[in-house]
Amino acid sequence: MRRRRFLLSALGVGGALVVGWGVMPPRSRLGQASMFATDANAVGLNGWIKIAPDGGVLLAMPRSEMGQGVHTGLAMLAAEELDVGLDQLQLVPGGHDAIYGNVALFLGSLPLHPEGTQPGQEGSPARAGRWIVSKVARELGINATGGSSSMADAWEPVRLAAATARAQLLGAASLQWKLPVAELEVRRGVVSHSSGSKGHYGELAKVAAATPPGPVRVKEPKEWQLIGKPAPRVDLPAKTDGRAGFGIDVRLPGMLYAAIRHCPMIGGGIGAVDVDSALKLPGVLRVVRLGNYAGSTAALAVVGRSSWHAQRAAQALQVDWHQRPAGGLDSAAILSGLERAARDAAASGGGFAFHRRGEAAPALAGAARRVEAMYRAPYLAHATMEPVNCTARVADGRVEVWAPTQVPGSARALAAQVAGVPVDHVTVHVTYLGGGFGRRLDIDFVGQAVRIAMETGGRPVQLLWSREEDTGHDFYRPAGTAFMQAGLDAQGLPVALAITSAGDAITPRWMQRTLPQLAGPMDMPDKTVSEGLFDLPYGIEHQRMAHVTTHHDVPIGYWRSVGHSHNAFFSESFIDELAHEAKQDPVKFRLALLSAMPRHAAVLKLAADQAGWGAPLAGGRARGVALHESFDTIVAQVAEVSLENGRPRVHRVVCAVDCGVAVNPGVIAQQMESGVIFGLTAALHGRIDIENGVVRQRSFPDYPLLSLKDAPVVETHIVPSTRPPTGVGEPGTPPIAPAVANALFALTGQRLRELPLTLKA
Amino acid sequence: MNLTINGQAQTLDDAAVAPDMPLLWALRDVLQLTGTKYGCGIAACGACTVVIDGQAVRSCVTPLSAVQGRAVRTIEGLGTAEQPHALQRAWIAHQVPQCGYCQSGMLMAALALLERNRNPSDADIDAAITNLCRCGTYPRVRAAIKTAAREWAGAVPAPKGKA
Repeated sequence: MRRRRFLLSALGVGGALVVGWGVMPPRSRLGQASMFATDANAVGLNGWIKIAPDGGVLLAMPRSEMGQGVHTGLAMLAAEELDVGLDQLQLVPGGHDAIYGNVALFLGSLPLHPEGTQPGQEGSPARAGRWIVSKVARELGINATGGSSSMADAWEPVRLAAATARAQLLGAASLQWKLPVAELEVRRGVVSHSSGSKGHYGELAKVAAATPPGPVRVKEPKEWQLIGKPAPRVDLPAKTDGRAGFGIDVRLPGMLYAAIRHCPMIGGGIGAVDVDSALKLPGVLRVVRLGNYAGSTAALAVVGRSSWHAQRAAQALQVDWHQRPAGGLDSAAILSGLERAARDAAASGGGFAFHRRGEAAPALAGAARRVEAMYRAPYLAHATMEPVNCTARVADGRVEVWAPTQVPGSARALAAQVAGVPVDHVTVHVTYLGGGFGRRLDIDFVGQAVRIAMETGGRPVQLLWSREEDTGHDFYRPAGTAFMQAGLDAQGLPVALAITSAGDAITPRWMQRTLPQLAGPMDMPDKTVSEGLFDLPYGIEHQRMAHVTTHHDVPIGYWRSVGHSHNAFFSESFIDELAHEAKQDPVKFRLALLSAMPRHAAVLKLAADQAGWGAPLAGGRARGVALHESFDTIVAQVAEVSLENGRPRVHRVVCAVDCGVAVNPGVIAQQMESGVIFGLTAALHGRIDIENGVVRQRSFPDYPLLSLKDAPVVETHIVPSTRPPTGVGEPGTPPIAPAVANALFALTGQRLRELPLTLKA
Repeated sequence: MNLTINGQAQTLDDAAVAPDMPLLWALRDVLQLTGTKYGCGIAACGACTVVIDGQAVRSCVTPLSAVQGRAVRTIEGLGTAEQPHALQRAWIAHQVPQCGYCQSGMLMAALALLERNRNPSDADIDAAITNLCRCGTYPRVRAAIKTAAREWAGAVPAPKGKA
């Protein structure tokens, strides 16, 4: 079976050895103090926690803050277990050790169906898959921030590290004061006893480092002081006064600035260049030819005294650009091909089946009635507000990189390869990210910056892409199609659902670009192509969800909520079509199909109740609903929509979410708002068109973002839960497009099956 | 070339700048005032917004020659951690920023709005805040502007002759 082969080959060892290794306990993620660097006066207790002389706590922070609130969330876990205030905790960059690797991200790549993972229903394949992938991921230790995984990943190791540190600190107090641990209290990092003995963590740290922790337990939920209450984000003061340091804000002595012009044709090359056209301008130092780095198109970089000098000269460059030998890419042709591929595979039973239940083909054939529909979604750009950039210095056989990146380890490996130095001669400083959304899971810009820095005589150089380069040379959300087929019984209720989708797979190509050492062994079917289709919660008797993986040379990458970003639109719009066919209310129709999935049903009910589903609306408005699970978090949204000048206007979105324990309800609400508005930009405006290899859209005027005046009110309601927390950075995005499309159907009778949503006049 | 930034006279080396250099790059690359951001270079996104003589201005398309002798205020001149401006307090109270990249521009656009209108309606905010945010902080930006306006209106008398 292919999946098992992936697991074994990923290890690069034979099966017998794996059996022996497999029964050993998973690698500990507690780590040692030497694994992250801070000032020498701090006392390290493990790989996550050090204690400053004043009693403050230093927490190793391997995850990238790109707006999702991860720095606050992980800090809360540590502060909770250590009984310190968030204000007493300082974040320090995590090192490159495997303990900081993101295990949950890899667990999220397993193509598990939710039916097999509900409480009490988890089957042995799911358990075995999680166990082995967890073990492999711990060994690999790949540090990545993505897949809405950081909180799920940190939940155990960070709490355990902090609880272990606390146990050592209390043990030290107990030894010094000759008092039992059970009689000691901790408040804001001060340990005290009713007899009057008192000392802060800084006074206890040295002894604590030599004190075994004894039995360690993390707090019970009833003991939580911080977890579960809204906490102000730790990064916000610096983000309101200009101090927050993004990649673009790195300033170093003697620093130069570089601008870039890629070959406008994706995958094209560079012929003759009139370098003098740039060099004759003031403030310009040199022009550097750039090859292909981690998937980038060939480019020219101009180095100058300021970004303005460099950009102006880059614009002036006279270049003979070459089309790629295979000819120019064309997105309209690609989408037509994807439609054919989905339709053909649906007819032939082709594609890779990610989910099978019952016998879909005969059930469809024998159904009283069939409903069929083709859905389409375009390529999309990330359009982070901070354009792609990276700062590098190459001097004396060492490389230093300052990058807004979601994958510092991959950035380091590529920097070493480009500069031709050992990887331990490379230092990567992760800055704040001015938006990530998956764009910064790619490292093309790191390779480019290091290559440029090899030409500047040891002076640091900051490469900054213009907005036009950023829009035109992204790793795009892949275009996709899905052919939906349902078989209905005599009452109009669905008995069979077949979904055949088509589109390029991101993961194998991303692995080749970003984790090349694993790209060979990882031959698992890429779940991201079918996520949001194969894993629907609805209890329809016969199901087949298959995907036809295509390969076009348009660079594609992870885009907030990945496959869910368009697949939720396909599936939740079609479910709405089926409700209409059954002449049932869309909420009641879904609930009837969710009898085996109580968590999904509860989320849907909460959203519907809070939205006043079924109650009369102001004139000219209609409601639409969608329910979608992604990244183990369940979200339902009800959108209230009207038409303004014939165009959709979304007024209010009521959002219900079950993400397990709500660690920071404030950040959860913020991320739901964020996901909705990000998703609305895609639903109402987003499309990237490629003609003859050139991306037509260049900047915000032709790749518009939702504006403040068009932003809806978003109300978030959280389902109380004691399950371990799951992510919130992405799950707010998938449901909004279908919720709006379903509202537009209720409003106009038009069923829109293509993104962006465009009403016929 | 002489500029007044946040109340301070600044002299820029003529070799480092040019009259047609946009203010944004002089702030960021010459004066190292990196709080003002580059987003698009064509005045479409507002990440580079500064306040000049009370008006919100997109510094990415404002040449240095146009700001000689005028008072430029950037995010670095709004308030400090110790003495935050009413807008910054409201921004924290409403937990507005996410990635934070567009927020300097948002705050400066809000400053220009409140300096001429201490009681902005939703329509006033819609018209004044055309800055783009990819994280979707808009609803909180709106709420924070209203909070700051209330606080400011209460604490600071409105300028004479203005509503």
